[in-house]
Amino acid sequence: MSVESRRLKFAFIGPALVLLVLFNVFPLVFNVGLSFTNAELIGSEREFVGTANYTRIFDDPIYAGAIRRTAMFVAFAVGIELALGFSLALALRREFRGKAIVLTTLLVPMMLSPAVIGLFWNLILNGNFGIVNQMLESVGLPQPQWLTDRDLKFTSILLIDVWMWTPFMMLISLAGLNSIPASLYEAAEVDRASTYTVFRRITLPLCAPLLGLAVLLRATDALKQFDLVMATTGPNDANTQTLSTLLYQVVFRDGKLALGSAYACLVLVLVIAVATAFTRYLEALEKRPA
Amino acid sequence: MKILRWLLIVGYTALATLPLLWMALTSFKARDDAISQHPRFLPMMEHGNDPSRHTFTPTTSSFAALSDVHAGAQHSFWSYLGNSIVIGAFSTLASVLLGTLCAYGFSRFRIAGAKDWLFFVLSTRFMPPLAVVVPVLMMYRQLSLTGTQTGLILLYTVFNLSLSIWLMKGFLDEIPRAFEEAAWIDGYSRWDAFIRIILPQARTGMAVTAVFCLISAWNEYGFAMTLNSSGAVTVPAYFAGLQGNIDGMPWPQVAAGGLLFVVPIVAFTIFVRRHLLRGMTFGTIKQ
Repeated sequence: MSVESRRLKFAFIGPALVLLVLFNVFPLVFNVGLSFTNAELIGSEREFVGTANYTRIFDDPIYAGAIRRTAMFVAFAVGIELALGFSLALALRREFRGKAIVLTTLLVPMMLSPAVIGLFWNLILNGNFGIVNQMLESVGLPQPQWLTDRDLKFTSILLIDVWMWTPFMMLISLAGLNSIPASLYEAAEVDRASTYTVFRRITLPLCAPLLGLAVLLRATDALKQFDLVMATTGPNDANTQTLSTLLYQVVFRDGKLALGSAYACLVLVLVIAVATAFTRYLEALEKRPA
Repeated sequence: MKILRWLLIVGYTALATLPLLWMALTSFKARDDAISQHPRFLPMMEHGNDPSRHTFTPTTSSFAALSDVHAGAQHSFWSYLGNSIVIGAFSTLASVLLGTLCAYGFSRFRIAGAKDWLFFVLSTRFMPPLAVVVPVLMMYRQLSLTGTQTGLILLYTVFNLSLSIWLMKGFLDEIPRAFEEAAWIDGYSRWDAFIRIILPQARTGMAVTAVFCLISAWNEYGFAMTLNSSGAVTVPAYFAGLQGNIDGMPWPQVAAGGLLFVVPIVAFTIFVRRHLLRGMTFGTIKQ
């Protein structure tokens, strides 16, 4: 290839890739280095302390707790969103008047800022003057303290996430359902297959690859959960701390820069594992005969 | 079965929309009406003073009060909205331009390890902002970029590159090569063919990509609050700053500001509704 066209090629892909490496690879390397020091947010003095930060993280249950809680969040939020979104897609599958409007309306929550909308949920779920509890009171049901009861608040945050992201699962499920050829259903009808068999043998298996993609996309996103927790209970609540909010607390509230870096390194190992699973899945999906 | 189906559709539509309608209603209330013991959901000009009434006098005072400086902030809502607009607009422009160039490179040139590069690009999206923010913060301090619009514009440009490259690659792959090849025969250089032939063809794709970049920059919170907690603060970080005292929150103003902040997003969502699937899945699902 001529020098000319090699230069042209670099002119196209170079700027973007250089920026991506600069803002992603450099921080990773830097984080690793920083995690073996005792650097703080204020001041520039730092000393090498070996693996002290890592020992501290493994000794203090709060760190493992945040990882466990985030894993639960990913499992339950994504699971409920998938079940609900897929059911909705099944219900919305057939044409009806005004379907386009209903669909667009249902999709709105996932496009909104979780930080802003999450803040407003504080009013909706307020124990005394929130509309949810006022409604429950009017029909004589118990009125839980959604965001202050220590056993309930994490579930409440999870439900807000379900409210925001079920539409995403519905959208992808609908795409999966629409891609199933009608001839398969006609053949099943000729064979007098039961509704259950049709669902089990046709609908579900043919939707599965897209649902898998949806689950992975949502999981990588839920793993980062930060905005909703910050908007509702804040970063320093032991009952709702996720990976990201604990990192915020350690670095920006406690000023423990190096400790935060060590924790970030461990978090990144997790993230890279999930991201690798995702890209592998995508490659397998591409190779699949259409 | 049919009843169940409609119950689910109607029920979920109510669930999805009521919180947003409640926000809209709250923005036209006085503060006392927003936090009354009995829910007030009927806007009415004439009503008694019964404390258990369900009516309230609609007012636009909360929108006017957006010009006030609230406890927990240094400026009025409008100043933060201005930051969001400037940062969103410039970062979107830069992301789409750089992303289109890069996507074209991957779409039309032979590049060693192209697949690995593309997956690297995608994986940058999976990083939690809080896990990379410390080195970025230290770099920004050296360059005096913390608390500036430029700092966040640069960061959001990079943050959205993964989205922009993947989406644009999908769109560019759909443009037949015959178009450029014809242009080369007519004596266009590769670059000229890209500018004059491909870019006009890719207009829709670029517009859709721009909308998704804008929305994600508009809504971003993690970087916004850690890098720009005092200067060039965007709306999501501004709202978070009001949080100090939940009972003292100016709820009607929060609702009014929130409403103004999400209305453009709703408009954009309607605008790109046919491309939502593609945009939300980085172009991995095309329809």
